Amino acid sequence: MYWLKRYLNIWFAFLRNSLVRDMSFRNNFWLELIAASSWVVMNLGFYILVYQHTEEIGQGSGWHFPEFLCFLATTTLITSVVQAFFMPNAQEFSELIRTGGLDFVLLKPIDTQFLVSFRKVSWSSLGNFVFALGLLGYSVWKMTTAETDPLVLSPIICLLYPLFVLLGIVMMYSLMMILAATSIWLGRNQTLYDFWFYITNFSRYPKEIYSGAWGLPLQYLFLFVVPILLVVNVPARMLAAPFRHQENPGLWYVEWYLPIFMVGAAVVSLSLSRAIFQWALRSYRSSSS
Amino acid sequence: MSNTVVATTISHTIGHRFKVWWMIFKISLEERLAYRGDFALGTLMRFLPIVTQIFLWGAIFSAGMTEEGKLFGYSYTDMVAYYLLTMLARAFSSMPGLATGIAAEIRSGEIKKYLIQPVDLLGYLFLRRIAHKVAYYAIALLPFAFVFFLCRGYFSSFPDLLTFGAFLASLVMGFLIGYYLEACIGLVGFWFLEVGSLLFIYMLLSFFLSGHMFPLDILPTSVKTVIELLPLKYLAYYPPAIFLGKIQGWALVYGLLIEAVWLLFFVVLSRVMFHFGVKRYSGFGG
Amino acid sequence: MSIIEIKDLNKTYHVHQKKEGLWGSLTGLFRREYKEVCAVKDLNLQVEQGEFVAFLGPNGAGKTTTLKLLSGVINPTSGSVNVMGYVPWERKNEYRRRFALVMGQKNQLWWDLPARESFRLHQQIYQIDNKEFNYTLTELSDLLQIGKLLDQPVRELSLGERMKMELTAALLHSPEILFLDEPTIGLDVIAQHNIQNFLKYYQKERKITILLTSHYMKDIAALCQRVVVIAQGQLKYDGSLGEIIDQFSSTKEITLSLDTNDQPTGLEDLGEVLEVNLPRVKLRVQRNKVAACISRIMDLYTVEDITVEELPLEEVIANVFAHMSQPSDTDKPNEEIVSSR
Repeated sequence: MYWLKRYLNIWFAFLRNSLVRDMSFRNNFWLELIAASSWVVMNLGFYILVYQHTEEIGQGSGWHFPEFLCFLATTTLITSVVQAFFMPNAQEFSELIRTGGLDFVLLKPIDTQFLVSFRKVSWSSLGNFVFALGLLGYSVWKMTTAETDPLVLSPIICLLYPLFVLLGIVMMYSLMMILAATSIWLGRNQTLYDFWFYITNFSRYPKEIYSGAWGLPLQYLFLFVVPILLVVNVPARMLAAPFRHQENPGLWYVEWYLPIFMVGAAVVSLSLSRAIFQWALRSYRSSSS
Repeated sequence: MSNTVVATTISHTIGHRFKVWWMIFKISLEERLAYRGDFALGTLMRFLPIVTQIFLWGAIFSAGMTEEGKLFGYSYTDMVAYYLLTMLARAFSSMPGLATGIAAEIRSGEIKKYLIQPVDLLGYLFLRRIAHKVAYYAIALLPFAFVFFLCRGYFSSFPDLLTFGAFLASLVMGFLIGYYLEACIGLVGFWFLEVGSLLFIYMLLSFFLSGHMFPLDILPTSVKTVIELLPLKYLAYYPPAIFLGKIQGWALVYGLLIEAVWLLFFVVLSRVMFHFGVKRYSGFGG
Repeated sequence: MSIIEIKDLNKTYHVHQKKEGLWGSLTGLFRREYKEVCAVKDLNLQVEQGEFVAFLGPNGAGKTTTLKLLSGVINPTSGSVNVMGYVPWERKNEYRRRFALVMGQKNQLWWDLPARESFRLHQQIYQIDNKEFNYTLTELSDLLQIGKLLDQPVRELSLGERMKMELTAALLHSPEILFLDEPTIGLDVIAQHNIQNFLKYYQKERKITILLTSHYMKDIAALCQRVVVIAQGQLKYDGSLGEIIDQFSSTKEITLSLDTNDQPTGLEDLGEVLEVNLPRVKLRVQRNKVAACISRIMDLYTVEDITVEELPLEEVIANVFAHMSQPSDTDKPNEEIVSSR
């Protein structure tokens, strides 16, 4: 456990340095905080508008307004963590490659992937984390006090939910590292962020919306091949249990096969990101100075 | 990159100017094509978000309280057509990297090269932008045509020639407004060194209020009236709305006129900002 | 056994060959030509513990690439390197804890933070215990006189101060080998001098091994006993600075101050006349004829002052490079178009 303590210490130093840095540009910090949270608020506003004209998103899916708020809160929770801890590093990574700054990272007697992916923290993105917690609290309160089919929370679910949110974060992290590693091959990679945005865009909706002849293959693609649809859907379903409205909720394994699969998917994607990162490092050629 | 080319022009004859413009255009195009990996990926990716939008609206319509199959005055096919056309409008009006580029040049002091050399910054960047767009269209034409062909069922009828002309005009003006609006944001860098957050707010507003995320018609009437006063709608909402016949007759004529006025406003604003910005910049000694 | 052993080291880069013009860019979308560039070619070198070695060579000669190979940042195409018993590009933590690399053009400290914060991070990463860390930091900051600057954001420091900080960061973990790539680039004369003095002192005290590349001959003259000249990726010379001068500067410069303002005659017979700016005259004379020449001058003219100087080091080295880049029969061009995709 000695190495864990050591890496934690280094991580605390990263957290500290980033905070000192953010605080020395205070105005910018507040602006970023406001900008980031207004994004979430406006997104919320859009769904409030939509729910004035519809009962649920996807006929018979069970995603009524309070359940959907829970989904939205889970999405925000995961994205805010990814944006605070990993996004600044992934963006910096292609910069490190372009300028040859990666040389210095490679010299350090410490795991390179760790150093690359945890160096910077954007504290302002954590504002959304707090907002998401509030939203989550509101939606749980709404669901548990509903007049018809109120939600009953079991302690197991309360324990599993944060665990699966964490797994979701691990999967997002893996995807981001895989994308970042490609910039070693592609050189300048401006579209990295776009690509990330477009791919994760698929994860931000209930899987039920992908239905029909075109939708189902897409749903399976993003559940089982590039399993980003699991990231939000599994923990959100676990907590909000939208299927409780259905008349026969089905056998337990029908609801539980996705979570079990997700555990495996998280392990596989993390190992894959590790392998690809190491592979990419081998073809790093260092920019000439 | 291509600043050396610009430096050699002393003559101000029209012919010479065209030569310079052509040179800037050509080199920008070359530069753009040099990063083929980026390019191919970027173009393909742009079609992805629209897929989720189509499915999301499919789900909303499937359970929605529709009137004659319409929500907010849109049928499902209209909605899909709207998003497809928004893609086209955005392909004209989006200016990735423009404002950040200008701000970065101001901050790093590279802006000096435009002050020393006989070249106009806004004009130079404008040509580069056109080159980028041309390179983009050249590659994006095929996938665009393919997607529109696949989705031809969603377009209930093709508009008459006059409407189509108005649609084209709104696309071109959308490009111009997009360029000058973002240039203005970049030029704010003369006064505040960090424009990143300002730009983020602009992106945010333009994502939600330009019609990129949803047709503005779903907003409550009171909100919509206010939003309609902003120039943002020309970046995404306006061209599809014209195409789908949401704006007709005199409303269309007035709408295009107001758009032209907005365009003029941003052209003048960017010129004024550049003028005073440079003054301030050289006043501080760079 | 030597502390650094390089055997038959090669590093080849694939470089995308961009074609001229718009049409070239367009066809480049589909088909690209690559050429191979040898950055390092069959390099053999041994460095002993405690040596201070300078790498000399024109731009693009492969000096920096060699340093990067030695520090494990890049992998070689072929050949072997052994540094303190490690293969650098395996990047073992034990190895990485025992050396440091400083690059004059690059900055590894957190730009917006005081250097002290970056140093603390280094302490964590290199696992330096508190006592040792504080001791080393105090020692280094006294030597480099940067005590007052430690709490200022790095971006507010001058280039010279920043270089001192970079050196401090690199030496905090007391490396046994130090690689310096252009450590004085862009610095003014005083700052250069400070850094040279520091390096000289530190190397003597700690007996560490230092490899340095530099464009400034003053750096090399002040610091290094041993000079390695690399050109076109190949080792061209390995020996002391004095030997280089003997080998490549066969002439000396004689400056006379005459007591007359009349044009002296017969100067051409003495040697090459560089400058006549009466009463001063500058001549270039073969090394072995200096003594004879001076006695003749004394016979011919009335001289107020006379000085004999070596050629400026820069000029000697320029001679060396010029000599080395003359293609011989065995030298193949090191760039060729090898493949097209």
